[in-house]
Amino acid sequence: MSEVILKGLKKVYDNKVTAVHDVNLEIKDKEFIVLVGPSGCGKSTTLRMVAGLEEISDGELYIDGRLVNDVAPKDRDIAMVFQNYALYPHMTVYDNLAFALKLRKTPKADIKKKVLEVAEILDITQYLERKPKALSGGQRQRVAIGRAMVRDPKVFLMDEPLSNLDAKLRNQMRAEIIKLRSRIDTTFMYVTHDQTEAMTLGDRIVIMKDGYVNQIGTPQEVFNRPVNLFVAGFIGMPVMNFFDNCKLLEEGGVFYAEIRGVRFKLSEFQQKALRKNGVKPCDIIAGIRPQHVTVGEGELKATIEVSEMMGSEYNIHARCEGDEVVMLIPTVDLTTDVSMGKTVNFTTRPDLIQLFDKETSNNLIWYDEESAKKDAPVCKSYDF
Amino acid sequence: MTTKPLKRKNALRDTVGDKVFYAINGFFLALVALIILYPLYFIIIAAISDPDAVLAGEVVLAPVRITFDGFAKIMQRSDVWRGYLNTIIYTALTVVLSLIVTIPAGWALSRKTLPGKKLFMIYFIIPMFFGGGLIPFYNVMSSLGLINTMWAVILPSILSVWNLFMTKTFFESSIPNGLIEAAKIDGAGQFRIFASVVIPLSKAVIAVMALYYAVGQWNSYFNAMIFLQDERMYPLQLVLKEILIASESTVGGSGETILQQYRLANQLKYVSVIVSSLPVLCLYPFVQKYFAQGVMIGSLKE
Amino acid sequence: MEAKAKPLLTPGKMTKGQRRMRSLKDNAPFLLMIFPAVLVVFLFNYLPIYGVLIAFQDFMPGDKILSDTTIWVGFENFTRFFSDPQFWPLMKNTFLICIYGFIIGFPLPIIISLMLNSLKTRKTAKWLQTIFTAPHFISLVVLVGMLTLFFGRYGLVNNIVAHMGGERYSYFLESSAFRPMYILSSNWQDFGWSAVIYIAALSNVDPQQHEAAILDGATRFQRVIHVDLPAIMPMISVMLIMSIGGLMGVGYEKALLMQTDGNLAVSELISTYVYKRGLTGVPDQAYATAIGLFNSVINVVLLIIANTTSKRFSENSLW
Repeated sequence: MSEVILKGLKKVYDNKVTAVHDVNLEIKDKEFIVLVGPSGCGKSTTLRMVAGLEEISDGELYIDGRLVNDVAPKDRDIAMVFQNYALYPHMTVYDNLAFALKLRKTPKADIKKKVLEVAEILDITQYLERKPKALSGGQRQRVAIGRAMVRDPKVFLMDEPLSNLDAKLRNQMRAEIIKLRSRIDTTFMYVTHDQTEAMTLGDRIVIMKDGYVNQIGTPQEVFNRPVNLFVAGFIGMPVMNFFDNCKLLEEGGVFYAEIRGVRFKLSEFQQKALRKNGVKPCDIIAGIRPQHVTVGEGELKATIEVSEMMGSEYNIHARCEGDEVVMLIPTVDLTTDVSMGKTVNFTTRPDLIQLFDKETSNNLIWYDEESAKKDAPVCKSYDF
Repeated sequence: MTTKPLKRKNALRDTVGDKVFYAINGFFLALVALIILYPLYFIIIAAISDPDAVLAGEVVLAPVRITFDGFAKIMQRSDVWRGYLNTIIYTALTVVLSLIVTIPAGWALSRKTLPGKKLFMIYFIIPMFFGGGLIPFYNVMSSLGLINTMWAVILPSILSVWNLFMTKTFFESSIPNGLIEAAKIDGAGQFRIFASVVIPLSKAVIAVMALYYAVGQWNSYFNAMIFLQDERMYPLQLVLKEILIASESTVGGSGETILQQYRLANQLKYVSVIVSSLPVLCLYPFVQKYFAQGVMIGSLKE
Repeated sequence: MEAKAKPLLTPGKMTKGQRRMRSLKDNAPFLLMIFPAVLVVFLFNYLPIYGVLIAFQDFMPGDKILSDTTIWVGFENFTRFFSDPQFWPLMKNTFLICIYGFIIGFPLPIIISLMLNSLKTRKTAKWLQTIFTAPHFISLVVLVGMLTLFFGRYGLVNNIVAHMGGERYSYFLESSAFRPMYILSSNWQDFGWSAVIYIAALSNVDPQQHEAAILDGATRFQRVIHVDLPAIMPMISVMLIMSIGGLMGVGYEKALLMQTDGNLAVSELISTYVYKRGLTGVPDQAYATAIGLFNSVINVVLLIIANTTSKRFSENSLW
């Protein structure tokens, strides 16, 4: 058992800048949790607090039921993979892997056994006598992971481990991490700024901004039910289309979303949720994912500016009354002409429309009052 | 977009103006090189020429009547060789002690978590700009009981604050923080980090410092002159001073005797310049990249 | 794997005081590492600073610096120096050798580094740089020895003159020759070394800047002025501040070696005078210390003025 519990974790620097506000997070045993957010959002700081590299200003940190706020990093039973690997350049790969064990006075034979075992798993056995300089980026990455593995840590911390690799290698290593995870079977805490990595790797994703946690949830949850404008815009590729200055209307007890003069009658579920949340008609920002747009029907109109044929789908940039609309249209069954310059009708399924309060930028349907931070700044722009 | 330097041959044809510029530039640099090299060259040819020819002004471009008498003579000068030995001892001790003092202190100063870091910085900066001067320094050495011991020559030279700051800057810019954090997570304490991670990665700065301190000690004469009374402890430079700079005086007779004296003295001078500078100048081309590295370390802003 | 094996040595969460104590304990090794350096600086830099107190005393060698019998004389040693007939000649000699040295020695490395950087082949530049820096490693004793071998009565110059039927003539006994010899030999020895720092800065200039300038139609010389020179300007400012701070700070090592009875009128500097009055003949330590202190105060003041001025007119400063 090795769960990690962050209770009101806070980081205030000496210059009174608060990098992390009150992070609450319960990481279950063997869970793969990903902290994601734009740079400066506090995700790395949070990880470094768990590692013990950063002093905890306030709150409590439990690893495996033990309060470890002020326990030295080496006594926390954690291991960490650094962004630029941090391999010891003067040591061979073998010595890099063995260093931590040597420091613990592990018997030599045991060290050897463990190092060879890990090297086998990571497929770096043939490089054990080399220095890190003689390795490729991907190989260095494996060594860095191996160095963490030899110690059988309770918690495996990874700080943007793939960001120094080129795109192709990154995809490959991502797949390897998924494989690796099934083999080493421990708790992972993984920091990245890349939402694709977060979505593909995480059991749960923690989305942070400006030192606040915005949402914690499974990839499906954060994709389908973003709690606010920021999460909606951050998760998902291409970025969700936002329509500012829309209205939420109520007529005869029924809610409609009005986008550019076109009314959408909201689904039963949305009606119920809005009533439950006590929402009154108001100005909203409506969000529609590019994947959820259908062309050739409906009353919304857009002029196509760029149309990219991607094989199985068209990636279309269009303009709808000043708003840029990105559409991802499957080529199968496409009968509408989507060449550049054409004006097309488009629509979406009402139940897939995300409704954000223009005042607070919170999702009117999925917003969870409980977990919301009262003092968190409102994110009004979705331009990031 | 290419980031390659514009070295591609004939990538651009030089204009006439540029050709003139390159010609003038090359000419002047060659001239400067000549000004540097000729004195060194002359010393060598004068040392192996017949002293009479040198004195007669015949030796200008090439040695005349080659002789190695001067070298034979200097071999017999026991004071030169004793000075040589003393200098080697002083230099070796200075280098060892200076590294022990400078490198760990530079590392400690480069750490943000050094308790009282600001105070230490001020403590080391003040002596860079203000000192007590010669006489108080002499009195301190005297009251420490160092006069007429070799430690008077060695100890004051084992720390240069400039070098300390250079080392600090090196550590700040060249040892990645992640490495230290990785070592911490691996379970290494501060001493272990220093010994197993920092030192092996600092060969460049250690080499530079060793060379700086070594050359400094090898070439210095003043402390030895004021602190050492016993001639048997004189370092090479002090012995050389007596050979090379036997002061010219306005008085003294003219004619053959004086000329005869100078004839022999000068030969010894040429030879001793060569013999004493040889180790440093021979070593120099090999280590010059380290020296230059040192300057570059120092040029980084804190 | 045994799950809850080792008991905690430290409490999981500490009070502020405990934290501070632990941080101190964690970082105590740094204090041990820095201690030898602190000690050395204390002994050889701070104790002498304390020792300048004798400048305000009637001090005889062997006296304690602070005791019941200490005779304080205030600024008497200083006023004595100001009325010393040597005062103005010393000030003048020191200042002139510094200012002439500065006028020649400051621009020279800059020009040389720009010239080296303008060479077409890197390899030639490297070779020339190696040659130019070599004299830096010649000791002062040897350098002055070489000067006598070239300009002494029986040196190369006189040998040639005599060969052509002229009179031998020692430049070492001539006041007028002292400064040129001192300054030119210093530059001969150190211009290459001083250029290294500029060369390092020049090597960091982005080649694309040069390419852009070429496309704009700049000649090689214009590129030196408009691309290279601006790149080393910050370095030049810092060096300028340091040089101005050293305008009265010439040391005794080289001048002492070059002094003869004949050139003493110009070769006696504040620093050499301090040495002579304080450590040779019948030493007058308090007097010599006062002169030395006066000199260091001038240096500090010059440095502060230079730095403040630079700060006002540009963004470059030492602190």
